Amino acid sequence: MIRAKLLSALLLLISIAAFAQTNYDASLIPKDLLRYASVVVRNEEITTEVKDLDNVSYHVKRAITVLNPNGDNIAHMAIYYNKSIAIKYIKGIAINEFGKVIAKFSEHDFKDVSAAGNSDLFEDFRVKHYIPSITQYPYTIEYEYETRDKQSLSLENWHPVPGNGLAVEKSTYQMVCKPDFVIRYKQFNLPSAVIIGTTKEGMKTYTWQISHVLARKDESLSVDGRHTLTSVIFAPEKFNFYGYNGAFQNWSDLGKWMYDNLLKNRATLPEETIQYIKNLTADMQDPKLKAKKVYEYMQQKTHYISIQIGIGGWQPFLASDVDKVGYGDCKALVNYTQALLKAAGVDSWYCVVYGDHQQKRSLLSDFANLEGNHVILCLPLKNDTTWLECTSQNIPFGYLGDFTDDRNVLACTPDGGKLLHTPKYTTEQNRITRNAEFTLSETGDLAGQISTTFKGVDYEDRYEIVEKAQTERLKDFKWYYPINNIDIKTLEYKQDKSLDPTTFENVKLSAREYGALTDGKLYFSLNAVDHLSSGYKPVSNRINPVTINHGHTYEDKVTYTLPVGWKLDSEPLNVEINKPFGSFSASLTFKDNQLIYLRKLQVKDGTYDKEVYGDIVDFYNTVIDADNYNVILVKK
Amino acid sequence: MRILSLFIIVLALAFTKASAQDFPYGQVDNDALNMTKYAKDTSAHAVMINEYGTSRIGFDNDYNILITYVRHVKIKFFDNRDFETEGTIVEGLYNSNETRYEDITDIKAITYYKDENGNIQHVELDKSKIFRTRENKHISTVKFALPALRSGCVVEFTYKITSPYLFEFKGWDFQSSIPKIKSVYEVHIPGYWEYNASLAGPLKLSFNTAVVERSCLSYGSASADCSDIVYGMNDVPAFVEEDYMTSAKNFKSAIIYQLVQETNLQSGVKTKYTKDWKDIDYLLKTESFFGTQLKRTSLLKDRLAPVLSGKTDQLEKAKAVYNFIKGTIKWDGHHDYASVDGIKQALDSHTGNSGDINLALVTALNAAGVPTEAVVLSTRANGVVNKLYPDLNSFNYVIAKANIGDHTYLLDATEPLLPFGMLPLRCLNDQGRVFSLDKPSYWIDMTTPQREKTTYAIDLTLQDDGKLKGTLTRFSTGYTAFLKREEIKKFNSIDEYFEHVSGDIHGIKFTKSAVSNIDSLDNPVAETYEVEVNPSDKMVNNRIGLSPFLIEQIKTNPFKLARRDYPVDWGMPSEDRYIVTVHLPSQYTLENPPQPISYGLPNQGGNFMTDFTTDGSTLTFSYITRINHSVYSTQEYPYLKELFNKIILAEKNELVFKKK
Repeated sequence: MIRAKLLSALLLLISIAAFAQTNYDASLIPKDLLRYASVVVRNEEITTEVKDLDNVSYHVKRAITVLNPNGDNIAHMAIYYNKSIAIKYIKGIAINEFGKVIAKFSEHDFKDVSAAGNSDLFEDFRVKHYIPSITQYPYTIEYEYETRDKQSLSLENWHPVPGNGLAVEKSTYQMVCKPDFVIRYKQFNLPSAVIIGTTKEGMKTYTWQISHVLARKDESLSVDGRHTLTSVIFAPEKFNFYGYNGAFQNWSDLGKWMYDNLLKNRATLPEETIQYIKNLTADMQDPKLKAKKVYEYMQQKTHYISIQIGIGGWQPFLASDVDKVGYGDCKALVNYTQALLKAAGVDSWYCVVYGDHQQKRSLLSDFANLEGNHVILCLPLKNDTTWLECTSQNIPFGYLGDFTDDRNVLACTPDGGKLLHTPKYTTEQNRITRNAEFTLSETGDLAGQISTTFKGVDYEDRYEIVEKAQTERLKDFKWYYPINNIDIKTLEYKQDKSLDPTTFENVKLSAREYGALTDGKLYFSLNAVDHLSSGYKPVSNRINPVTINHGHTYEDKVTYTLPVGWKLDSEPLNVEINKPFGSFSASLTFKDNQLIYLRKLQVKDGTYDKEVYGDIVDFYNTVIDADNYNVILVKK
Repeated sequence: MRILSLFIIVLALAFTKASAQDFPYGQVDNDALNMTKYAKDTSAHAVMINEYGTSRIGFDNDYNILITYVRHVKIKFFDNRDFETEGTIVEGLYNSNETRYEDITDIKAITYYKDENGNIQHVELDKSKIFRTRENKHISTVKFALPALRSGCVVEFTYKITSPYLFEFKGWDFQSSIPKIKSVYEVHIPGYWEYNASLAGPLKLSFNTAVVERSCLSYGSASADCSDIVYGMNDVPAFVEEDYMTSAKNFKSAIIYQLVQETNLQSGVKTKYTKDWKDIDYLLKTESFFGTQLKRTSLLKDRLAPVLSGKTDQLEKAKAVYNFIKGTIKWDGHHDYASVDGIKQALDSHTGNSGDINLALVTALNAAGVPTEAVVLSTRANGVVNKLYPDLNSFNYVIAKANIGDHTYLLDATEPLLPFGMLPLRCLNDQGRVFSLDKPSYWIDMTTPQREKTTYAIDLTLQDDGKLKGTLTRFSTGYTAFLKREEIKKFNSIDEYFEHVSGDIHGIKFTKSAVSNIDSLDNPVAETYEVEVNPSDKMVNNRIGLSPFLIEQIKTNPFKLARRDYPVDWGMPSEDRYIVTVHLPSQYTLENPPQPISYGLPNQGGNFMTDFTTDGSTLTFSYITRINHSVYSTQEYPYLKELFNKIILAEKNELVFKKK
């Protein structure tokens, strides 16, 4: 017994010794790295070794110092695995402020849970996670783990600065492979060049390193860290993916491989369904009309459910399965729609895309790799390419919205992959037009109606409320308009799902004491319909360029019929500004006891120099000032 | 107190025929398929036509006790809107180990719809499309999506869950997010077991019958009669959540069970689980996860020695112990009233749930000679406590009650930024039960004198160019100070917090800043800023308007419903005070001195008041909003709503300065 104890104590000493060679005293962190940081990566060493096409090992060693509780989530280690990825080992130590080892941990301490979210019907990824509990800040954890992945198509990329609030003292990434394994890579914002070498065993090595990277803070109107952050992404020339071999150098090869291996044999439908579709579209000539009919059939027959299973989550369910169960994830529904269209004699392409509402993330035109998080369908009609989002039962035919518009996607076709670009919704197309007519009584009570149309990406602005039951709508609607004491008489939504889709909102309402009568003066807020409540905060030392993803045009006309015998006591509003990124005008005219308020706000999409940000802050402040305009009326 | 009807169903056992039966599986009628809307709720996207559940205590093949639960549901979907929420069925299963676990079997589902020719078609659930996921060591989930859903379809599904856990006898939710035409639950409980049943929510049962089923369970030569009890509701409306509601659980109609007594099948010995508080007192006192932990004062004596050295005053000692526990064990975010792994483990590993931390706190305070009891409670999200009979299951949290002199202090050491004697909002819920090792337990109200309180003091001087310059001070007091500290600590430094704040208020430019008392938790956080205010109006005809409500204007009423179905839960009383002083240069006068406004809620529930004073060159405008209660009844709702309306109306007025 004693011997055994001694031995394990000895082993503990050895393993701690193996870690604690470096001094991680928190006071050794260069002072400038502390600014905006909750965590400092003291040292990170990632080694990816492609031992074979079906044997890739990742060795990660990382020491991070957590400066305050905001950094705890980064110290929360989470290692994902599935049928292809096996965790070989995990071990680590916790170190106090002064560099003294205070605890050690191993894989045994990690909790093993499913990575599925509530909305997933199934997800085969699991995760082992653990956070050492340390109450004194700053503290450091140093840990090391190794995983082995049986596939070599999707290699771990290097993102040494994964987010804001994190500074890096030093990070190194090394790719090790056999001399005949050809690796392609693309580097972003790399301060120093890659070092290529050979190990004494004859393996080829590529080494990237960065050091002394300052932490960043959140910046509004900035997207895609690739603009300014360091990263290296990888793609193999030859690979094995869940038992399928392949090779590619460009998008054409990759798309072809995906089509041949993951898609080609998935599209068989029962004869009955094929016949049904043929009958459904029999008397139509125009392939677009046929496609619309088929698409609407698919929509009423299916709904979206997230299921991540098999072949790394890249292969769709069989079309015949979807035909039977009536649900599927994006891949399954696109594949099914494609099969139905084929039955109607319409060709279409399965397209991989990065869906993201916040930023337009394009597949890189000069670097092919396995990327994307969504699929959509492309109809390559002559001079009229049409795009279909297949996961929504209510979205109009040919409509993508801001989730997938204006970006490169990979079409997987029998002739090979094609990099295509989805259509863009322009500043002029994204339009909310509002017309309101109100009467205001002598006591400040308001009554009237508002009619609004939403187009372009704004078509989906009322997505949630449109879906809801009327009783719920009446509740939720009150959040859209800053009208106090709002009482809704009628509320209607209509959606025109043509190729230029429009959402219509019509509301009749009244509001007691909209205006305040004090000392014979009637005060009320001019803009009851489209009130900007917050703009952008001024920031110092901005790093990212300003990106406006989508342009929008908002136009409002409000007519107030006022009680007879009153005149305006405040100065009429008249504002107009024009900037490269947008324009704004607001005016008030008073005539024959009618007050007409016109407002137009336009913001233009694009990427602007970071110095423009200050102008944007000022621009929005002007808009808010104008929106806050209070009308004061006095009796004539 | 929440309005809640929670009552024990009084059973009148009668020897009559069994009254409820499951509806037949695999049948659909034309009426259901042809239904286009639900007359009693025309805006519903789906309605549960029928729902029947049964739980029966019996044996498995090896004579182990097993509860068999069967649920059978029929839903009509009018359109596709509810497919996402109602179209996927999820059941969680618990397992203690490999031999003792819940299991699900007999999952079946059918979807019926009419094709274009008006013929009824049906699609059955494919067994291979049932997904089982091991979420963690003890919990698995089973999920399946209803097959072939389409607008207008009728879906039927059923499954069976078997469970060895007599303490977790399944309850029944009568109310859910879609309306139900009929919902029935039937239980068969052999006389060996006695359960309490209670009904939550305001809805009444439409029918409730009980009969005795003779010799329903036999064991060897002995046999027992069963109570066969049926609970039913017809026309159950959809449950609609309202803002300012604590836990929907408090208001949703459901039935829950608690095991009271068990008779051993072999020996006939009766074991009482929970009948009286004195039973629970005894249970908790002796449980390894509770009473045993409270006795481990020796564990803490050494650890506390340096913390307590030199301290003689009880309050001083208590504060030192409180800070020691806060600094030693980090909260893992989990709620519990028990310390299953023990407080030693928590002290050594520096991590624990609320049970580990606060039982350690109680024990440590007692070890330090501060008489302290444990208060077991239910957090707001967990719902109100069952008061009809002693029920440990309705608790999920524990705090400490330190008795020092004539004062008692309620303490929770899970939040490092909480000052001594203040509780996190989650604890302010209903009543808590006080336990100690030497006295019978008793109830206390989970209320503390704590308030949310903010005071603004703004001192401005009007400049020639129409701008105003001066200082703005914000005092965050009471619970607001805690929230403010949490907000500040989200930033890595005060400078970053200041950068964040400086763009916060439209029209006010912040120049210099100072924040004090961030770390002295017992004092208000004071933030002082030098500010420049730009009135949005320009100077016209020598007049300029300024809204005295410079910050935190309430643009729309937070209470928007015409009629409220459930009480408003404000959390805790709050007070906002605001004083703005404007110094006018001699060439200016104020054109329109504002009239004071005052509006009060009934029952001293709160008020809104403005005041104005001037000596000609210095004007002082102030207002105060007080919300004195934490809960307002539906009858008080219109007054509360009107209070906010009055604030919004007052905010529309402007001060107009005129150049002489």
